[in-house]
Amino acid sequence: MHGKFDDLGRFADPSLLILTSLADGPKHGYAIMTDVAAFSGVSMEPGTLYGALSRLERRGWVRPLAAEERRRPYEITAAGQEILAGQVTTMQQIVQVARLRIAMAQGA
Amino acid sequence: MRTGRAGRLSRALVGCHPRRWRERYREEMLDVLDQHQASARTVLNLAVSVLSTHVDPAYRTEALSLPRLRRAALISAVIAAPLALILGPVGYGIWQDDHWRPAADEGMVSAAFSAHAAILVTAFGVTLDGMDMVWDVTDLSRPQRLSQFEGGQPTALSPDGRTVATVTFSGRTALWTVADPRHPAQIATLPGSPFRHFNPDLRGQAFSSDGRTLAVAYYDHVVLWDVTSPARPRLLRTLDAPATSPPGSAGLPFSPQDLAFSPDGSILASATGTDQVTLWNAADPARAYRIADIDDPGAFAQGFAFSPSGNLLSVLYSGGTVLVYSLADPARPARTATVTGLLARAKFPDGQSQPDEVLCATCIWTGEAVAFSPDGHTLTVIVNRTEMSANSGRDTIFDWPVTGSGTLGTATVTARDAADSQPFIAPSDRTVLGSPSNYHWRTWPLP
Repeated sequence: MHGKFDDLGRFADPSLLILTSLADGPKHGYAIMTDVAAFSGVSMEPGTLYGALSRLERRGWVRPLAAEERRRPYEITAAGQEILAGQVTTMQQIVQVARLRIAMAQGA
Repeated sequence: MRTGRAGRLSRALVGCHPRRWRERYREEMLDVLDQHQASARTVLNLAVSVLSTHVDPAYRTEALSLPRLRRAALISAVIAAPLALILGPVGYGIWQDDHWRPAADEGMVSAAFSAHAAILVTAFGVTLDGMDMVWDVTDLSRPQRLSQFEGGQPTALSPDGRTVATVTFSGRTALWTVADPRHPAQIATLPGSPFRHFNPDLRGQAFSSDGRTLAVAYYDHVVLWDVTSPARPRLLRTLDAPATSPPGSAGLPFSPQDLAFSPDGSILASATGTDQVTLWNAADPARAYRIADIDDPGAFAQGFAFSPSGNLLSVLYSGGTVLVYSLADPARPARTATVTGLLARAKFPDGQSQPDEVLCATCIWTGEAVAFSPDGHTLTVIVNRTEMSANSGRDTIFDWPVTGSGTLGTATVTARDAADSQPFIAPSDRTVLGSPSNYHWRTWPLP
């Protein structure tokens, strides 16, 4: 996996889901939670969401936008898009190898 | 945990984050919580968030000092203590239930018959481990095992043969559906005492004859549940039966026959405390009330049997005393028969008064059962004396003819040697179940 992602520790997986959610446009906290649940089935709790968001923000991978009353949307930065693309490439390689090995095992 | 309580606790935990965190994220998180269905998982998640942000250098606004460390420790303790109190017992109970393992070589300790279906549920293993088995007893002499599950002692089976009430490893009452007897499934758990392996408070469980009410007797109270929908039991009433002796002072903690409804369900007989026998009016379970106390012969009630017409109640006490009461006026039960000394008359294997070799006090064990015959004309008590060190036992059967007024005639006494332990009398006919060990049981006809 991408080295910078490893630094996120237990927030690595939530961070990947959040970056994926923000990849199609800015969203506020609850919208991120519902979007992640919709495309991945992962039910993210508020503590995990904001733990991951604060780390992504510190790394400059997401950026807070102006608050709309109590809601504050977040958008993915160029650096965040680059990190996300790198993670996806790594995952694609894993998927490719896994499929190949499964096919070989089933063929054998 | 209720959503309302979880929501309030979650909002309180947001306020426990470090000041810099709160200034930055508090309003957003509260907005999320306004829309989020908070649960126990949310509370736990936020508690972890509080702890992790307090140790996160990015949010530590001041250098660590002794007062600050004390404050952090106090906050952690305030958060952790209630969580431990809530989650500890629950988690321990779940762990116990998950680690239930069948005993290797155990006899049958409980047998629950359905009234209107040919289903029998048995439990093997004493106190710590156990295996429950579901049987088709259309022909009791040729039982067919349908399934097995690790649920605890089945102490009651609903009259329709669809729901089993068990005592779980952690001492709680669990409800299992055996509507599909080949695939039992747990459907509900009633509150209990999760810290106890073998809950000394729990005395027995019984379904009413219409199957809509489940009574659960504890040391000093009886709880009635509406189990019309067994997966969603509803608390109907708690009946206080203040104990006259402190818990654990003495006594036999649990007997499958310690709680019984009359055939029409209007009367509930319970054994609580160390020797208290109480009759309750349960015609309307939501408004059940005490109607009478049975006088105390100075022993522990080991079983009740209502006559088929419900006009007589027989109470079997440890030590071998049997009392019969007329319930013509349930508020004033009138004793119609008293028999004592059955234990002394029940011999050990081969007719001995004492086993040849007694290795320890617990090597001598007594099992008892009491029942009226289906026609109500005979009262039967079986006393089993088992010499565990020799794995041998002897059932002594006392049969009394019963008059309509509740008096007893002369007893017929028979006996049989068997490597069984606790006897169970099948309700529909004069058949006895006994179990030597190893998940086996066998039947034999009463004389």
